[in-house]
Amino acid sequence: MTPQDFTTKEINTWCPGCPNFGILNSIKEALAELVNEGKISVKDTSLVAGIGCHGKIFDYVNLNGFNGLHGRVLPVCLGIKLGNPDLTVVGFGGDGDTFDEGVSHFVHACRYNADMTMMVHTNQVFALTTGQATALTEKGFVDGSTPLGQGEKPINSLLMALDLGATFVARGYALQGPHLKELMKKAITHKGFAFLDILQPCIVYHKHSVPYLTKNVYKLEETHDAGNFSQALERVREWDYSYEKDTKVPIGVFYQTERATFESQWPQLKQPWHTIDRKTNWDNIIREFK
Amino acid sequence: MQKTILIGGEAGLGTAVTSHFVGKIFTSLGYYVFNYRDYPSLIRGGHNFNILKISDKPVYSHEYKYDFILALDQKTVDIHKKDLKQSGLVFKAKETEPKILANNILIGLLFKYFGVDLNILFAAAEKTFGKNADLVKKSIQEGYQLDSEKEKLKKLKPKCFISGTEAIGIGAIAAGMDIYLAYPMTPASPVLHFLAKRQLENNILVFQPENEIAVINAALGASFAGAKAMVGTSGGGFALMTEGLSLAAMTELPLVIYLGQRPAPATGLATHTGQGDLKFALNAGHGEFLRVVLSPGDAQEAVIRTQEAFYLSNKYRIPVILLSDKHLAESNYTFDEIAKSSLPIDRFIVENPQEDYRPYALTPNGISPRAVPGQGNFVVRANSYEHNEYGYTIEDSAGAVKMQDKRFKKLPYLKKEIDKLNPISVYGKGSNLLISHGSTKGAILDALPQIKNFRFMQISYLKPFPAEKVAKEIKKSMPTGRQAKKVVLVENSVTGSLADVIKEETGITIKNKILKYDGRPFTPDDIINQL
Repeated sequence: MTPQDFTTKEINTWCPGCPNFGILNSIKEALAELVNEGKISVKDTSLVAGIGCHGKIFDYVNLNGFNGLHGRVLPVCLGIKLGNPDLTVVGFGGDGDTFDEGVSHFVHACRYNADMTMMVHTNQVFALTTGQATALTEKGFVDGSTPLGQGEKPINSLLMALDLGATFVARGYALQGPHLKELMKKAITHKGFAFLDILQPCIVYHKHSVPYLTKNVYKLEETHDAGNFSQALERVREWDYSYEKDTKVPIGVFYQTERATFESQWPQLKQPWHTIDRKTNWDNIIREFK
Repeated sequence: MQKTILIGGEAGLGTAVTSHFVGKIFTSLGYYVFNYRDYPSLIRGGHNFNILKISDKPVYSHEYKYDFILALDQKTVDIHKKDLKQSGLVFKAKETEPKILANNILIGLLFKYFGVDLNILFAAAEKTFGKNADLVKKSIQEGYQLDSEKEKLKKLKPKCFISGTEAIGIGAIAAGMDIYLAYPMTPASPVLHFLAKRQLENNILVFQPENEIAVINAALGASFAGAKAMVGTSGGGFALMTEGLSLAAMTELPLVIYLGQRPAPATGLATHTGQGDLKFALNAGHGEFLRVVLSPGDAQEAVIRTQEAFYLSNKYRIPVILLSDKHLAESNYTFDEIAKSSLPIDRFIVENPQEDYRPYALTPNGISPRAVPGQGNFVVRANSYEHNEYGYTIEDSAGAVKMQDKRFKKLPYLKKEIDKLNPISVYGKGSNLLISHGSTKGAILDALPQIKNFRFMQISYLKPFPAEKVAKEIKKSMPTGRQAKKVVLVENSVTGSLADVIKEETGITIKNKILKYDGRPFTPDDIINQL
């Protein structure tokens, strides 16, 4: 398979030069390589997307998919795993989608540890609705809904994921495609809930993040021990999603561990339900009422 | 033979368990029992009571005049003694005794009164309490020795004793449900418990996600993946689900929603009953889309309607709302046998879709053949945006119209199918007509023999509405010339919203309404007195 096999005929409506194109290229490459390596099968893989600029990726990847509601990517992903545990499920959300509207689901997804991946396109702004602040927007940000400046500090989504028990926590940069592709492959093949934060600076409504990230993003060194929780905590705290002063922004796999998956608690969840031919033993069902 | 027994005590004393056990013994002796449950929203203290109406003829409702009061505490006597019949008896537990003993001593006393053989009680105790039966048996025997036989109950053919909750649970199992998701909310939670407890033996999966929004979105994910999914909630939870309901319609993914009503607005009367969510169920969700709303009237009908809900939802790829309320859900009904629907268990998933599979293919009846991911080398896409046949997002005007029309094309086929599923039932004879839906059926059926010249139309399908059938039945009872005939709506609500629905669907105005909105269900007397 080649990345082009995942291309659709749909007209791409992202802004010219949008870093989302980088994410799209990386995911197509990652999927093609995973298929070629025998790690996933195309027919048993499904993507899920929310609503916002990121959600358009649904139309640009030729794969099974569910484009749901704003904020509800994670419950749909969970439901797909419950409905067919054999499917590889990859969710895409925006930072507003995931950490404003859908934050409760993120909290629980980290706890559940279902075997699925969540990639968040972090542009720190509601772009498709013309630039309002999200839960990850820096304090002081001025826009249509916050003319006096955004009043709160942003959520550090990686820190939150670690604290809530996510078993794979990583960050990539949309403008560093090859590195991002590798992170995507690691996230998708991780057994358990994988959270991949993807910095995707909006070139229209959050312009200042492009030069900042270009200057400050660096890859975690090879010596970083992803099995060390304390070290991971320390590294995700290096940058708090603010732009007040130059701070280094690490990308890479911060943390990876193993824990029983959500699906494993159900002995009856062994095969796709639709392959089960059900028959009713009525006498058995009503015995307790006699 | 007809007896009414009140069993009461503060929460935690075992009122509900004791009442169910008494009901079960009477049904095993062949008697019809209706078991009504009344309890406040608290865990310990307060006052819970059950009313058991027992008869050798079918009975579907309760009344507030008692032949016996089984009091687990003094408060029960204080509150209910005024409603004891003149010849009625009070059996009161010694509050110093451990509750399991005290309750069962009363059971021993009661059944000694009816001359029921001790071995029958022992067998019932073993069946209900399993390993804990020894202690129960001992205390039953103790009570048995305290009284003497006053009446001799004839043993008849054993009956089935089942609640609305249990009926919905077994209806779902019989329909081939794979997954049940729900967030706790009275009075829907008992279905969650019932199915969760039986998940392994029935090879189903039951899970409680973080909130109702997650519940409905996860259910749609499961449905997309090929599982037959159902969710359960009450009004407040359903309110949170409405965006997902609209998503179910847009993605054309089958989904059954169990909606157990209780009085609202807001948190309302959490542990009581009402039918105030009818219009909400009919209209919930943004946008215009097809849905089915079903309202079973008793536990037997709940089994059948639940099966129909799954059948229609999967066949037509539309959301189906199964309307219930606390009274239907938490009351126990007695039937000679429990029947199931003869509708097949069908997933309506195509076996070998064509290479160029289109999840939203335009077809003459609007129903696109449904495939699921993993089935073959084709792509299955569900989209909340307006989409083309392949599921890709569109914005063009012609495409939008085509897809809106496609989804509504199913309506005439759906209507035709529902026409064959007894959308209305008419009971009794008379030129006047009572109309209702849902759990009011029981009290009306029991009132009917006592009111002259009335028949009763129960409407079970509220959407699509069986307008022609309903209009025809009402017209038979419309006043003509000098003949004064009456059409009366009975509803557990403030406004009697079914009258508005009938007006909208048939143009007929129903002027007479018997309404009750104190959170308590109708008794036959409530209806008789108001007529």
